[in-house]
Amino acid sequence: MLSRVAESLFWTARNVERAEDLARLIDVTATRSVDRAVDADRRWRSAFGVAGIEPPFDRRVDRASAVEHIVFGVETQLSIAACVRIARRNAIGVRAELTTEVWECINGLYLFVEAHSPRAVGPDGASTFLRSIRDTAQAFGGLCDATLAHDDAWEFLRLGRFLERAAMTARVLREIEPDAGPHVWELVLEVCCASGPFARARQQSFEPNEALAFLALSATFPRSLRFCLHEVDHALHRLSGAPVGTFADGAERTSGRIAASLDFAGANDLAREGTANFAARIARSLDDLGSAVTEVYFPRVPVG
Amino acid sequence: MRSILDRYAPAPAYDEFADALGRPRAHYAALAATLDGISWADFRHRVTTVNTVLLQRGVTFTVYADARGTERILPFDLIPRIIAAHDWDRIARGVAQRVRALNAFLLDVYGEGRILRDRVVPRELVFSSPHYEREAIGVRPPRDVYVHVSGIDLIRDADGAFLVLEDNARTPSGISYVLENRDVLKRAFPRLFDGYDPRPVDDYPLRLRDALLAAAPPQVTEPTIALLTPGIHNSAYFEHTLLARRMGVELVEGNDLFVRDNVVYAKTTRGPQRIDVLYRRVDDDFMDPLYFRADSTLGAAGIFNAYRAGNVTLANAIGTGVADDKAVYPYVPAMIRYYLGEEPALQNVPTFDCSDDVQRAHVLARLPELVVKRTTASGGYGMLMGPASTTAERAAFADAIRARPREFIAQPVVTLSAHPTVVEDGLAPRHIDLRPFALLVGDHVDVPPAALTRVALREGSLVVNSSQGGGSKDTWVLAD
Repeated sequence: MLSRVAESLFWTARNVERAEDLARLIDVTATRSVDRAVDADRRWRSAFGVAGIEPPFDRRVDRASAVEHIVFGVETQLSIAACVRIARRNAIGVRAELTTEVWECINGLYLFVEAHSPRAVGPDGASTFLRSIRDTAQAFGGLCDATLAHDDAWEFLRLGRFLERAAMTARVLREIEPDAGPHVWELVLEVCCASGPFARARQQSFEPNEALAFLALSATFPRSLRFCLHEVDHALHRLSGAPVGTFADGAERTSGRIAASLDFAGANDLAREGTANFAARIARSLDDLGSAVTEVYFPRVPVG
Repeated sequence: MRSILDRYAPAPAYDEFADALGRPRAHYAALAATLDGISWADFRHRVTTVNTVLLQRGVTFTVYADARGTERILPFDLIPRIIAAHDWDRIARGVAQRVRALNAFLLDVYGEGRILRDRVVPRELVFSSPHYEREAIGVRPPRDVYVHVSGIDLIRDADGAFLVLEDNARTPSGISYVLENRDVLKRAFPRLFDGYDPRPVDDYPLRLRDALLAAAPPQVTEPTIALLTPGIHNSAYFEHTLLARRMGVELVEGNDLFVRDNVVYAKTTRGPQRIDVLYRRVDDDFMDPLYFRADSTLGAAGIFNAYRAGNVTLANAIGTGVADDKAVYPYVPAMIRYYLGEEPALQNVPTFDCSDDVQRAHVLARLPELVVKRTTASGGYGMLMGPASTTAERAAFADAIRARPREFIAQPVVTLSAHPTVVEDGLAPRHIDLRPFALLVGDHVDVPPAALTRVALREGSLVVNSSQGGGSKDTWVLAD
């Protein structure tokens, strides 16, 4: 397929995934902050940290400022509204590759977000609004899986989706302070959509290290770092045709290394390294992986 | 209940729907019966639904003046335009005939120049056309096909006769509206189809693909087609994506292409992919910076050499603009007689060629009665509507005509036929035209029953272009 098309598919999927993850982050943080079970100011600051957006320096950091900047921020490429706009802009460029279902889903998400503003959402409407964004973004993933041929185009969508998802999980973990109590970990699990799966998987009573190990190392939970990295690795190997476990290019080499480091890590190793240190290291290697993918598949210099 | 037809008063023009006594014409009778049973409130509700559907589908064009890039839908009028089978037969025959003549003309003026030597078409008129591409002289396109795709604009005069208003032999657009209008109307208002079985339009993309495959360079066994678009900011981008998807071909931009050893390739994730047929929606001037506009990034450097070497089919071929030059248009009936030895099945609108001294004098004396068009303009721009013009406007046009007569033609005002159309408070007559599309497949012309009806939504307006407040209608071609 065209390199330009591959790149646009990749960025469409990345931005839709990011919009979904941020919507959940804001919704969960807002809900958990209402009854003050956690330090609201601290939680909102870490939400800004996950989003990679500077919190307003002259104002309280709270739900309203998060809605203004993380959801609707126009001065950044990182807000939900910006991600949706970028995703749709990329989808327009590859519209001939998408099914009507997939296109109308992303177009509908865009029209929905564009029709709202912080004022239109209001103090009580955020949860419903964010829920709609989440639902539509998830429907996008489902429609890609269910209506597109699982060929190269689909692999680039998978690549973008899981690379972004891994990066979001890493950034959420990076923001966790060393003294974080059970309430914070519960919030983090919920942000990662992991409360239920973790509850079913855990062996004993709640342990922070166990939650960390679950989010980082679970082989079956679809938002764990390890799971996401294997999806990325498989997508890359489907694209190159090289067998899994070998590498044909820089992207496969990087993804294989990160996946292997997660395959062979234990919960104690993570505890020793410290949650934030571990997560920061993974986040950096994911950045390297993103650059390697660009170099291999979306070169700036013309082929031939 | 007030029916939406209650207050319809036919126009002082040929009314497509009603005869001189105000009764529905035979092929509109079933529709009239259906409309009689529909309330205005119900109808309004459908209009809203349809507009929402079109917005969600992204059947939109971008309003450039707006910094946020607001997207608008092309107004879609829910009352279908119906064409009787015998009328369509004549249209299809006339369009096919015209396209064969235009293709023969192009082959001739870039080759032997017989028609010029025989003084049927003035030599200087052809050579002075801004769309006559000197680089294309002596270059025979694969299989001698120039106009793979064309759109012939027709109107209906006061007697109901179909006349050709202009030819579009470069990159005619609008087929996506034909496809979408039918699909949306079938979903939103299936009741309107009661008693009708209009010929389907949705195989157009496959017929287009057949035409493109048939035009591939003869030495290629399994040709690869791509559709070249100027990109997402082009007002017809939606159409490009629709056609590429429905034909199952790659939609490429100029930057996706490169040329090596006179072969066109697309840059893919698996290396270069050879392209044999390029259905290009990019004008000649922008196709190749080495030969045409040097600042263009919409085409690819070297593409013209690949074309000249016979390694790629460009659809349409380079240089077809001379055939739809408005100053050449008056000579098309003569071309039909000259090349085909047939009488034209569709007549032209009487036209004065301002580069001819006698005709120019006539035009200058009668400006208030005439429509003056710039031969270089399209989209309803650069026109003087004589009867509606001011003295100052006429003076400005008269000066311009005297200074550059080659750039103007003039025609009597032809009142376009009118059709019931949804307005603020019910149905009212509005002027319409018709653009059938023609596909040249070898030496056979395919005229699919998929034609675009454009409607001038402003009362009394005779300009149907979308850039001038026009909308469109679903167009039903009836089978025998």
